[in-house]
Amino acid sequence: MRVSYEWLTDLAGVRDVTPTQVAEVLTMAGFPVDEVRPIDLSGLQVGRVLSQRPHPASRHPLWVHEVDLGDHVRSIVAGAANAVPGSLVAVALPGTTVPDGTVVRDARIAGIPAQGMMCSERELLVSDDHGGIMLLDGGKPGQALEEVLPFDAWLDVEVTPNRPDCLSHLGLARELAAGLGRRLERPFMPAFVDGIEPPGTELIAVEIEAPDLCARYIGAPITGVRVGPSPRWLRRRLFAAGVRPINNVVDVTNYVALEYGQPLHAFDLTRIRGRRIVVRRARPGEELLCLDGQLRRLDSEMLVIADAEAPIAIAGLIGGEESAVSEATTDVLLEAANFDGVSVRATSRALRLRTEASTRFEKGLSPELAQAGARRAAALLAQLAHGRVHLNWADRYPRPQDPVRVRFRPEQVDALLGVHVSLQEMESALRRLDFQVQIQDDGSWDLLPPVYRLDIHIPADVAEEVGRLYGYDKVPATLPGNRRFSWVAPLPSQERRLDGLRHVLAGAGFTEAVTLALVSGALLDRLGVAERAMRVLNPVSDEQDTMRTTLLPSLLQVAALNANRGRPAVSVFEVGRVYLRRADRPQPDEPVRLGALRTGLGSAEAGRTAFLELKGALERALDALVPLQVAYQRDAATLFHPGRCARVVVAGRPVGYLGELHPAVLRDFDLDGRAVGVELDLEPVLALDVPRRACPLPRFPAVHRDLAVVVAEEVEAATLEETIRGAGGELLESALAFDEYRGSQVPEGKKSIAFTMTFRSPERTLTDAEVDARLERLRRVLADRHGATFRA
Amino acid sequence: MSEDGLAQRAREIAAEAVGAVARAAAPEELERLRVTYLGSRSELMAMPRAFRTLAGAEERRVLGQAFNAARTAIEAALDQRARELERSRLADLAETEAIDVTFPGIEPRIGRLHVLTRVQREIETVMERLGYHVEVGPEVETDWYNFEALNLPPGHAVRDMQDTFFFTSSEDLLLRTHTSPMQIRAMERLQPPIYVIVPGRTYRRDASDASHSPQFMQVEALAVDEGLTVGDLKGTVMAFAEGVWGAERRIRFRPNFFPYTEPSFEFDVSCGVCAGRGCRTCAGTGWLETGGCGMVHPNVLRNGGVDPERYTGFAWGLGIERIAMLRYGIDDLRLFYENDLRFLEQF
Ligand SMILES: [Zn+2]
Repeated sequence: MRVSYEWLTDLAGVRDVTPTQVAEVLTMAGFPVDEVRPIDLSGLQVGRVLSQRPHPASRHPLWVHEVDLGDHVRSIVAGAANAVPGSLVAVALPGTTVPDGTVVRDARIAGIPAQGMMCSERELLVSDDHGGIMLLDGGKPGQALEEVLPFDAWLDVEVTPNRPDCLSHLGLARELAAGLGRRLERPFMPAFVDGIEPPGTELIAVEIEAPDLCARYIGAPITGVRVGPSPRWLRRRLFAAGVRPINNVVDVTNYVALEYGQPLHAFDLTRIRGRRIVVRRARPGEELLCLDGQLRRLDSEMLVIADAEAPIAIAGLIGGEESAVSEATTDVLLEAANFDGVSVRATSRALRLRTEASTRFEKGLSPELAQAGARRAAALLAQLAHGRVHLNWADRYPRPQDPVRVRFRPEQVDALLGVHVSLQEMESALRRLDFQVQIQDDGSWDLLPPVYRLDIHIPADVAEEVGRLYGYDKVPATLPGNRRFSWVAPLPSQERRLDGLRHVLAGAGFTEAVTLALVSGALLDRLGVAERAMRVLNPVSDEQDTMRTTLLPSLLQVAALNANRGRPAVSVFEVGRVYLRRADRPQPDEPVRLGALRTGLGSAEAGRTAFLELKGALERALDALVPLQVAYQRDAATLFHPGRCARVVVAGRPVGYLGELHPAVLRDFDLDGRAVGVELDLEPVLALDVPRRACPLPRFPAVHRDLAVVVAEEVEAATLEETIRGAGGELLESALAFDEYRGSQVPEGKKSIAFTMTFRSPERTLTDAEVDARLERLRRVLADRHGATFRA
Repeated sequence: MSEDGLAQRAREIAAEAVGAVARAAAPEELERLRVTYLGSRSELMAMPRAFRTLAGAEERRVLGQAFNAARTAIEAALDQRARELERSRLADLAETEAIDVTFPGIEPRIGRLHVLTRVQREIETVMERLGYHVEVGPEVETDWYNFEALNLPPGHAVRDMQDTFFFTSSEDLLLRTHTSPMQIRAMERLQPPIYVIVPGRTYRRDASDASHSPQFMQVEALAVDEGLTVGDLKGTVMAFAEGVWGAERRIRFRPNFFPYTEPSFEFDVSCGVCAGRGCRTCAGTGWLETGGCGMVHPNVLRNGGVDPERYTGFAWGLGIERIAMLRYGIDDLRLFYENDLRFLEQF
C-alpha cells in the first residue's frame, strides 16, 4: 500500500519524525517499508503573475508572462492560459528538477526569453492534472514553495493479510504513534453529524437476503450534493496514495477507504429503482455493466447489490455503470457494508477482477468499521460537497460482531517470549494499541481488543502485540534449555548417504545437475514416457505442465542447452525424484533416482567404450552406498538404443537401464553424435542391508593366465564368465573379460573374447602344472558348452 | 709366459684400466670398460686358467694375489668413477632436466557437485551439530498438510500469499508451496522432543525471472519441546547464522505474519558486503532479508497431535537459492536450474 507521509503524520499527530524514521518504526512494528520517495520541493518558489499576453510569433498558442519573484521579475512562457494576472504560481527556475523529474532549462521561444517554468499539479506530483498551471491559495512572491505546500513523501508499506485494519492511514498512524511510545488521540468512531428530515429510512429501504455473506449494510442518503472537483489537499493525498482524483463524491469514498480501510460506494440515489436495496445472490443469467465499461455475467455464487429490478453492483468488488454518480448527480446513496471475505475472494477470482475494495474485503473486515467509514464519509460530503445528511440511516446488521475477550496471565507472555516484561510496560503497550485491559483479582488479565482487530484470539496473539512494542531486540538469545536429543538423530540422512554416490560420479567426470521437476507433458508424450504422469491443472507454461516421470529427458535438455552454447560433449548426472501416479491413493510415488548422461561421442566404438566406462563408474558409485554385485541383462527400453541397452539388476531386482541413447531420441533434442546414459531407482539399493566386511590379505602368490575364447557372435561375455567361474573350481579367484576382437584372425561370424584369470590357493603356492591342468579343463568345458575354440 | 711375467701383466692391466676408468665420461662408458677389463673374455679374467699350468703352490699364491689385487683395483676404480659420475649428474640436474614449471596444469577429468547440493548440505551440517536431524517428505501434498493443518483455511485470502499448482487427477492434491507440511508429518511421526530440519523442493505459481522460479529449494527447522521461547528461537537462528556466515554477522527479528506461527517474524542477517553500513547488495539498509520464523501456532501443534498446553515449538525456514546467491554473488535464480556447465564448474 502506498502511504502519504504528510497524511500519516497528520493523523498520528507527530511532527518531529522524518520519512526514514517513520519507515524504520513501521518496519520494526511488522509493516516493512520497501521504498521511501520524498517529494522534493526545494528550489521552487512562489511567483505572482504580473501580466499575460499572447506570444507574438509562435505558431502554437502560447502565453508570455511577467512573473514577480519578490526580488526580480522574470519572463515565463506557458501553453496554458489560466495563470491570469494576480495568480500565485509555483515557479521553477532553470536548472531545477521538479518532483515529476522534469528538468527546467533556460531558453528562448521564438525570440522571447523563457526564464523558468510555472508548474502544473502533475509536475509537482499533486495530482495527475496537466491541463493548466497550478494556482496557489497563498504565499508571497519569492517565498520558498516548501513553506506553502506541506512536505510529503510516498512510502510503500507492506501490510500482512492478517491486518486489513492497517490497509489504512489511520491504522498505520496508530502503529506509528504506538511505536514511538505515544497513543493516537483520535477516537476510532467519528461522531455522527447532525441529520435532517426526512429520515434516511424513508428515502431508501435495505433488505439483506443473504445474511451469511453480508453481516451489515448501511445505506446513508445524502441529498443536495454539488458534484465538482475536490479541494487540493484531498486530491494531493489521494494521488500520493496512488488513486486518481475524479470528483468530490467519488474522491470522498476513496479517501475514507484509504483513511479507515473501509471500502465505500456511492450510488446516484435517483437511479435506484423502487428506492430499494436488496443484498442477494445473483440470479442465473443476470449481467451487469460495470463502472470499468465491462459487461460481466454473474452466477448464483456471487453476491450482488440489487435494486427493485436488477443488480446495480457486485458486492465488495465494483459498482454498476447505470447507478454511478455523474456530474449531474444531486442525491447520493452512500453504501458502507460488510461482505464475507471468502465470498468476495471467490467472486474476484471467478471474474478475474481485483479492486481496492476486494483486496480489503477478502481479508475479512469488522462490521463496526462500516459505521465508522459511513460517518466519516457523510461528514466529508457535507463539508466538501454541500451534502445534506439525513437522520436514521438504513442500517441492517443481521450478524453483529461477537465481542472478543482474551484471558491470560502476564507470566504466559513472559514464558512464550523468554523475557520478563514488567506489568506496567505490558499494559502500556496494549493500551497504546487501543486494547482495553481489565486486571482480575486473581492476577489474570482480561483483554478486549479494539473492534477493528479481528486477529486477536489467544494468549500467543497477545504475546506478539506485547513483543512487537517491547522490542524483540531486547529478547535475549538463548538455546533450548532442557532439550533432550531425539533418538532418530544418529542415523545419517539419505541425502548424506547419497553424497557418497555423488562424489564417485564427480570423480568419474560427471557434473551434478539439478533440473526442474515440472517438465513439458508434450515432450513426455512424444518420447513415450508419459505413463503414470501427473498433470498440473494450472501450469504457468506448456514447458512446465507435468511432473517428470524420468530424469533422462531433463538431462538431455541440459546437454542440448550446453551444446547450443558451444559445449557439444557433456557428462552430467542428477540424483532426484520422479513422480509416478498411483492407482490406489491420490498421492504419487516419489522415488529417488539416479540419472547420468554422457554426450558428444563420435563413433560406434566410442559409444561402446563410453558404455563400459559408464558401467564401471556406476558400479563404483553404487558400491559407495552398499557393497553389492550388479548384474546386467540385455534388454530393450524406451529412450535406449535397441542393441545397446542393459537392464541393471541389483540383488535380483531390476532397478533401471544402462545403455546408449536411441538415435531418434538424440535427434529429438538436436544432439549430434552418440550418447550413453543410465537411469535407475536408488531406493531399492538404499534399502539393502549388506554389511561391509574386511577380507584378510592373501598370503600366497597368485598365478595369472589369459585365455582368448573364440565363440559365435551371440554368445555374451557374462555367459562365458559364468561358465568359467563354474568350471574354474575353488582355486579360480577371479575371471574378467578384458578384450573383444573381430577380424582376420577369427572366422566370419565369430568373435574372440579375452579373459584374464587369477588362480590362488589360501594354503600354498600353486605350481604352473596345477594351473595348466585347470586351464585345460576350462577349455574343454568352454568348447563343449559354447563351441569355443582358442586363440594363441 | 712366466709367473713373473703374468703377475707383471696383471699389474699393467690394472694400471691401464684404472687410468681408462678415471677418464670415462659416462656410465655407459664405464659399463664398456667393465666388460673390457673384467668381462669373461677379458685378458685379466683369462689368467686364472693359466694358473693351473703353474706347478708350485707358492707360485700360484703369488700370482693369485696379483690377480686379486688387479681385479679389486679395477672394481674399486669403476665404483668410484660411477659415484663421481652420478654426483656430477645430480649436480647438473637443474640444467639438464629443467621443465617450464609455469606451463598450465593438466586438469583431471573430474565433475562437481551442484552448488545447491553443497549449500544445502552445509546448512544441514550446521543444524545437525545443534542436534537436529533431517526429515524429508512428499512434494505432491494434500490440501490438509499444505494449508488447512497449518491454519490456512479454505477460501481464505492468506492462501493468496502462496500461489499454488494443482493437479488434474484430484482436487485435493497440490505441489507443496513450502516445506511446512513436514511440520505436521514430523509431529505425527515423532514424539516430542522433536528437533528436525527439512530441506526440499517447493513450488509456487510464479513466472520465471531473475528472482522468481516456479520451483525452488527451502529448508525448514522445527523444534517442539517443553518451555521453548522466542529467545530460544532467536538463539537458534543466531547459532545457525553464525554457523553459515561466521560469528561476525548479526541478526534482526522483524514482526511479520504467517498463519502457522504466532508470534511470527522475518529475520534479517547483517550484510556481509558492507558489514551493515549499507550498500547496493542490501539496498542501503545494512540488512539482508533471509527467512521467516515464529513460534508454532497452538492450532498447528494440535493438528500434529501435540498438546499445546504442555509443549511449545518454534520453526524457521529460508530459501536455499537465496543463501547461495548471497554467498557467491549470483544475480539470477534461473542459473541454478539451467545447468550451464560454465556456471556449475565455478563451484
Ligand atoms: Zn550491504
